Amino acid sequence: MINLLFFGRLGDFAKQVPATIEASTPAEIRQLLAADFPDLARELHQPQVLVSVNKMIVGWDQPLFDGGEVAFLPPVTGG
Amino acid sequence: MSMSTRIRIQQQDFDLAEEYQLLRQSDSAVGAVVTFSGLVRDFELVSELGSELDRGVDRGVDRGVDRQDQSSTKNPIDLLSLQHYPGMTESLLETIVEQANQRWNLIATTVIHRVGDLVPKDQIVLVGVASQHRADAFEAAQFLMDYLKTQATFWKSVRRNGEQQWIESKASDQQAAARWDGSDDK
Repeated sequence: MINLLFFGRLGDFAKQVPATIEASTPAEIRQLLAADFPDLARELHQPQVLVSVNKMIVGWDQPLFDGGEVAFLPPVTGG
Repeated sequence: MSMSTRIRIQQQDFDLAEEYQLLRQSDSAVGAVVTFSGLVRDFELVSELGSELDRGVDRGVDRGVDRQDQSSTKNPIDLLSLQHYPGMTESLLETIVEQANQRWNLIATTVIHRVGDLVPKDQIVLVGVASQHRADAFEAAQFLMDYLKTQATFWKSVRRNGEQQWIESKASDQQAAARWDGSDDK
């Protein structure tokens, strides 16, 4: 199972999303979510949204392994 | 000379005078200390609230807001909330400080960023740099803030009239960070 995290405004679209999912890449997660959460999937397709695996920024085709943590990151606004 | 780094992500406030003393006392070679503190303003420009802008226009809710000039509307806020990605934020800040340390001759660096709920006039962030000479400290402090704002995993939202709005990232912040790209002309 892959653990899912949604930060910033993405969290507003992901309130009903399960905490874990079975998938082999972040791109597949996005695809799987599109069925039940089309608004969220549309947000995840925004080019500014980054994805991390185990707290490292990666590409959308990064292979995932059981127990991994995938986080979806909208543009940051700290400071 | 060993570079000392102090990175903190915390809910509680920080004391600028204490942090300055730590930087000042970090080494007898310190000849310059630059500190920057970022505060919570009591307003956000409407242009920083993307979805609010659209809806504000649709509903005409910004009619009564005081216009400071013709190009922007200042919306008062009650609360600013800061979310971050624990674990990732710390390592990103460490990487940013390492980059600064490679570009400039720094003796000590402090980065403190608050999270949770803050109100206007609260301190949000402190960047402090100690170096032998002022140019290194000035430039590194600007670099650290520019990179922190565009790379560290923090997200701001504001609350007013009971409604939460996420702050949109600003192109001007991206431009500020981009000026450090490719030029090692320190």
